[in-house]
Amino acid sequence: MLNFLLRRSISSLIVILTVTVITFFILNWLPGDPALLILGLEANPEQLESLRETLGFYQPWYQQYFSWLINLTKGDWGQSMVFGEEVLTLVIQRLPVSLSLTFFSVFIALAISFTLGIWSAIKKNSWIDLFSRSVMQLGMAIPSFWIALILMIIFGAWLKVLPTSDFVHPSEGFLPFLKSILLPSLALALAEVGVLIRIVRSSMLTALNEDYMEMVAIRGLPNHIKYVKYALRDALVAPITVLGVQLAKLIAGTVVIESVFALPGIGRLLLVAVEHRDIILLQGLIIFITVFIVLVNLLMDIIYSYIDPRIKLDKEAGI
Amino acid sequence: MLRKNYNIWIGLGLITFMGSLSLISLFYTPFDPHAMHMDARFLKPSATFLLGTDQFGRDILSRIMAGGRIAFLISLLAVIFGSLVGFLLGSIAGLGKGFIGQIIMRFIDGLMAFPGILLALMLVTILGRGQHSVVIAIGVFNIPIFARLVYGLILGNENKLYLKAAESFGASKIYILFKHMVPAILPRFMTQFSSSVGVAILTESSLSFLGLGVQPPNPSWGIMLSEASQYIMTNYYLPIVPGLAIMLTVLGFNLLGDGINDMLVKRGSEL
Repeated sequence: MLNFLLRRSISSLIVILTVTVITFFILNWLPGDPALLILGLEANPEQLESLRETLGFYQPWYQQYFSWLINLTKGDWGQSMVFGEEVLTLVIQRLPVSLSLTFFSVFIALAISFTLGIWSAIKKNSWIDLFSRSVMQLGMAIPSFWIALILMIIFGAWLKVLPTSDFVHPSEGFLPFLKSILLPSLALALAEVGVLIRIVRSSMLTALNEDYMEMVAIRGLPNHIKYVKYALRDALVAPITVLGVQLAKLIAGTVVIESVFALPGIGRLLLVAVEHRDIILLQGLIIFITVFIVLVNLLMDIIYSYIDPRIKLDKEAGI
Repeated sequence: MLRKNYNIWIGLGLITFMGSLSLISLFYTPFDPHAMHMDARFLKPSATFLLGTDQFGRDILSRIMAGGRIAFLISLLAVIFGSLVGFLLGSIAGLGKGFIGQIIMRFIDGLMAFPGILLALMLVTILGRGQHSVVIAIGVFNIPIFARLVYGLILGNENKLYLKAAESFGASKIYILFKHMVPAILPRFMTQFSSSVGVAILTESSLSFLGLGVQPPNPSWGIMLSEASQYIMTNYYLPIVPGLAIMLTVLGFNLLGDGINDMLVKRGSEL
């Protein structure tokens, strides 16, 4: 077990280091003068020169990279050009919005995909299977911002039951907060549901076809025990492992959804950074998001190696 | 067997339909996609404007056709670029192994850790907005997907007897790659290619929707939706058609990918 933990942590660390290298080099070494990017064309030569000095423009690349990396680990992520504040402070301010958005949409997505996925696997080739498979294909083909617009029209313009913008902070009341985050979460969830239904359905189908299911049938156990205790337990591993990958997509999806619903989260911040070419902010955000995803994946793997020993053995055997 | 594979046929049908609309736009559109008719704004479908008009009175059908051309061109170029580089890196790592292979695959793991749109946003920031940047950005995030696929397939196939035989005859690695590996890899490669084009179309429309991809007044589907979003409280119809266009095209490529995959699975089980 310790061996597995160690190996898995080291490989995550290598991925994180590679990510910092790629981010650093793309943002600092592609054509263009970083000082000019930050200050814009109107800047005078003295300003440019002094900024180049502070950015370490004249240091060799490895020195620049390592001093940046060391500052990152110390929590000094630099100052955003647009906001004039510490990047880390900005991230911490905006994080709750994005986290609650992600949390609610994971919850909704899991509820929908498990219900439809399991149901359609049990009733294979029935109308419910056809329905789930249609939802699955459409879910993978519809852009999240279109779902968002349609939901806005239905719930905001027609029914007038839910707000379509204006985020309410949880401190101003939980119910208004929930109302303000419901449509964005639903839009984000529906865009991810397709892939999840497919995985739940196919792993449930595989489980139902296992030999031991015949034994369960012979023993005459009631349906709910048959499906929940035997099939579902076996079918659970694949969807949960994919959840880590899906999380990455969800977080990427917040960029679009937060922009449609004007939510003040990390995704919106990222977009501002891109629009204003705020390299330091962008660098910090990208590292933050990617490291977050790598760590969540590591955590998932560890949890699952406890639940399902086969995963650990496979990984140790190098499969 | 192929006759019963509905996925392939529906997929091909959708792609042909949307693709020919885009191709026809090269020679003919009902109206100039950029021409504004200020006396005919926000119209519902009618005999003159088959799919209605937008906030500037521009013909939606013409803009959908011209927008399709941009979507197809960007996505195909991006995935061709990404898959070729991915193929190259994956086969070097798979055949070469050793130190260089390790370095390449670690680099690929790193690229894979970025959520696609994040990598695209980063590249767009550096390269500037516009169609060229979108092609490069989407292409780059396809590189690790194809590199891993090719790497995995090469490692999975290398112990096959006929490859051992070819090797013992003194065939070079390059010869084995193109003569034996490529045909073995191609079907899975095509499946991935098809669904990658679908994802690329979604990404292009997202980037354009965010104002970072294709720039107005060019008629990208994403831009049409972004413009429509400003009027949705009063004009419910406006976002419908561009959204449907994206959905049908992506659905087409996804179904085609699934269909090819189904065909392979069936053929595999028959062997």
